[in-house]
Amino acid sequence: MATKWSYMDHWVTETPQGPLPPSFNRAYMDRYVKQLSALGFQGFDTFFFYLPMLQGMYGSVPAFEHFLQDNGFEKITGIFSAYPYATKHTAPHVRETHDRIVADCEYTLRGIEGLAGVENFIVMPSSTDWQTEPVTDDKIKIMADLWNRVGRITLEHGLKTTCHFEFWGAIRTRPQLELFFEHTDPEYVYFFCDTAQHTIAGVDPVQMFRDYKDRCTGFHFKDTKNVDTTGMYRTAPDPELMAPDVQRWFYPMGEGGLVDFPSLMKEIVASGYDGWLTVEHDKAELGGGTYAEATCLAKWYIDNVLAEAQREAEAAL
Amino acid sequence: MKDTLRWSYAINAWNLRMDVFVRHEEQQRALKTLSALGFDHVELASGMGGRWENLGTPEIILINHGSAEGLLAFLRRAGISGVSSWCWDPGQPAEETGYAFLMTRNPADHDAIVEAAKPFVDLLAAAGGDQLVVRPAGSAWMAPPLGDGDAGIVGSLWNRVGEIAAAAGVGVSLHYDCLQPFHTEEQLVSLLDATDPALVGLALDTAELTIGGIDPVAFYDAHHGRVTHVQLKDTRFQDAGQEYLTPGAEATMLKGGAGRRIERWFYELGTEGGLVDVEAFVASLRAHGYGGWVVVEGDKGGNATEVAMLNSWFLQRRLGVARI
Repeated sequence: MATKWSYMDHWVTETPQGPLPPSFNRAYMDRYVKQLSALGFQGFDTFFFYLPMLQGMYGSVPAFEHFLQDNGFEKITGIFSAYPYATKHTAPHVRETHDRIVADCEYTLRGIEGLAGVENFIVMPSSTDWQTEPVTDDKIKIMADLWNRVGRITLEHGLKTTCHFEFWGAIRTRPQLELFFEHTDPEYVYFFCDTAQHTIAGVDPVQMFRDYKDRCTGFHFKDTKNVDTTGMYRTAPDPELMAPDVQRWFYPMGEGGLVDFPSLMKEIVASGYDGWLTVEHDKAELGGGTYAEATCLAKWYIDNVLAEAQREAEAAL
Repeated sequence: MKDTLRWSYAINAWNLRMDVFVRHEEQQRALKTLSALGFDHVELASGMGGRWENLGTPEIILINHGSAEGLLAFLRRAGISGVSSWCWDPGQPAEETGYAFLMTRNPADHDAIVEAAKPFVDLLAAAGGDQLVVRPAGSAWMAPPLGDGDAGIVGSLWNRVGEIAAAAGVGVSLHYDCLQPFHTEEQLVSLLDATDPALVGLALDTAELTIGGIDPVAFYDAHHGRVTHVQLKDTRFQDAGQEYLTPGAEATMLKGGAGRRIERWFYELGTEGGLVDVEAFVASLRAHGYGGWVVVEGDKGGNATEVAMLNSWFLQRRLGVARI
């Protein structure tokens, strides 16, 4: 099995105006792509809100993809879209906002026309838990209806709508996840496994993959050192940066976290999964870290620890 | 890096000041970074000595790791298989030598310098290293202009160190930096001529040579037989003439404290506006069958990890070197 690794577009670098994303200017963006290229990443995932910036810097989003390809990448592999903060305009659990969300998704799809073949339309299926409470079965079914609609549309453009669950989202527990998948169409709605988010929520990501591997179209390989046992997921307005007891939730692989990545890798190999594997670092700068170092360490872990797990799993086939 | 040239990376890029890069896990992160970027050897560098020089001076390395084999085991944990070389400036006062202010241009200091070199040579040899890379003389602004006998005096010292090193299986390479007094091509050649080619060679630093007004490609083509070590980095600036003689040039020139206020002189390979023709230089190394180490340096160049990533990119995408 030849693994294909992509990088989820979080990055902060030092600029003359302070630590900022590489979208600071074209030169910084070029450096960022070269730095990822040096590690051998072949895919690039980015956020829907970066598409206009890329168009402005490179002339078009396909032109940016050509720059990626000039640096050894295969293509842009995923586009991430989300409504983390529910508003009167957009809230996945409120059916009246669905037309607007669908229109937004169609707009994003127009923004990636001409690319080599984006595979995943990655979505947060819900907004924050605290805004969705009480999280009822009916609300989960309403959210399922939304993503069934979106999934049908994105598939017409060649992209699979795939759901990335947050520990602070309204679909977070194992029963909630099961209900959501029960009410979504396997043809239109897929599973995106973020190892840290599930772990924080008390859900075993390896078991999730084992149970939903037929619907899994991607991963965010990132680690955490904490399980939320005190209801921090309900922190308003934002549990990722304002949780009272945990200042930093996410860590690179191999830094003493809770996720059993070798076991996950073995499950992936055993399943025959042949899609993209993605490294994500979210808020890596907290506590003095850097995205550059976190990314290098993740790739070291891939080349050494996960490669060994992969070899063992392949030998056992 | 998989190539006919032997590539290494200078670990000093992470050792920005005396109280950082001390904890082992911090060093492991830097070593893993280099491993992930395709490097499997590192160049060590000495500093001020003392309890924080965990990868800098022999005495402290041995306290940390017990032996050369212990040091190598530490490196291998991160996927780094060995030490290519070790940089040492005998003029840098170090705690282990009582902060002695030793000057290679002073024959009275030579015995002490030879003694101070021995622990470096011994540990480097035991670790399988290839070159002791030394600063041939202290900064030019700190001493009178070179006299007729200076090349011979300094050369004789390095021949002595070279004899000891050769006996241990290690070479000695004189590192050209833009502040030291053998500054012009003529002065540099005079120093090399005062050394025994069997014992002492030149560590050619592409950026330092360029800043000093010497074209590294032309120099290497003319003197490749004396080059035993290479340090590869880029610069955007040249000494405007006599800036290296400015009092306190380490800060006034190289940190922008005076004059043109240039705060950063060293850059990653392929930097915009870079003055070093790295591709031509490496092509020349290949053409002349260079067999030594090529050490990529990212020191004094900003975030060490980001610079290392850009340097690795340059090797892979511009020089056609395979990462793995």
